[in-house]
Amino acid sequence: MSKSLLLVSRHAPCSGSTPRELLDIALAGGAFDLPISLLFLDDGVFQLFTPNFAALEQKNLSANLQALPMFGVEQLYVAERCLRDRGLDSTKAQPAVQCLDDAAISALYASHDLVITL
Amino acid sequence: MKTLHLLSHSPFTDQRLTSCLHVIGANDGLLLTGDAVLALQPGSLQRKALELMPAGVQLFALEEDLIARHLQDCLPERVNSVDYPRFVALSLQADKVNSWL
Amino acid sequence: MSILLLADGSQLALDKDGFLADFNQWSEPAAQALAALENLTLSDAHWQVIHLQRQFYAEFQLAPAMRPLVKYIAQHAGSELGNSLRLNQLFPGSPAKLSARLAGLPKPNNCL
Repeated sequence: MSKSLLLVSRHAPCSGSTPRELLDIALAGGAFDLPISLLFLDDGVFQLFTPNFAALEQKNLSANLQALPMFGVEQLYVAERCLRDRGLDSTKAQPAVQCLDDAAISALYASHDLVITL
Repeated sequence: MKTLHLLSHSPFTDQRLTSCLHVIGANDGLLLTGDAVLALQPGSLQRKALELMPAGVQLFALEEDLIARHLQDCLPERVNSVDYPRFVALSLQADKVNSWL
Repeated sequence: MSILLLADGSQLALDKDGFLADFNQWSEPAAQALAALENLTLSDAHWQVIHLQRQFYAEFQLAPAMRPLVKYIAQHAGSELGNSLRLNQLFPGSPAKLSARLAGLPKPNNCL
């Protein structure tokens, strides 16, 4: 049985390559059939609200995020508190993600074998 | 210890500590290294928040980073100063390590 | 950088790995010229895969690795075409990479 992997993405999408690097881990791990969960935390939640990457001549991270289920990464979560702090509405998140409160996030950490936070 | 959380950024310019304290599990550990040890600055809100964490949460700080910032002599009772060998041992004891990179 | 010669005499630029330099310059004759380089004759099934590759890229802005390609084709064209055995027969060796090349996609980042 492969080890389960929790990926935590906590950086905003438009500056720096960190969100892309974490997504690459998710896509590569998915292609290898690893059990992967992805949690959007802190400013990482902005990744779910389709920024206009073309304005900055950047690759479209949002389109790539939609591919996660194709790569077998279907456990997608977002921190409810971080959405609330930023005035964001979970029903408008793309791709669709499951909202978790802080206790549920603690449980998520506990239930996976490995955690990578970027 | 279930998860050992590792922090290395100053809590005064960065959200990692705040975020970590929100989601840390009741039996997790937290190890402060680098500028993250500044959270132990006497009189700071961050230090107060650490002191108020549930008793099951174990708190550690890296000794050389404490010494460098003159914080080694004023640690809260529940914070353990650890050297590098102890850092390694803690990482191995924990089920997993979560580095807040 | 090398040059792909099409049946009608026109030319397209290829990158160092033999992938089309510009996704937007792709055409069916270009796919046929690329297939000829691999000694492949394109059947209806090949074309279906090639068009689904382009659709995948348009939708997700990335070239698929094997597993997502299989899943995507199975979803859109059924599992008779969307399975790795069939894709290996159609595009021998490295199906995801080869079909991406014929579809004019950039080289996949991870040919897993």
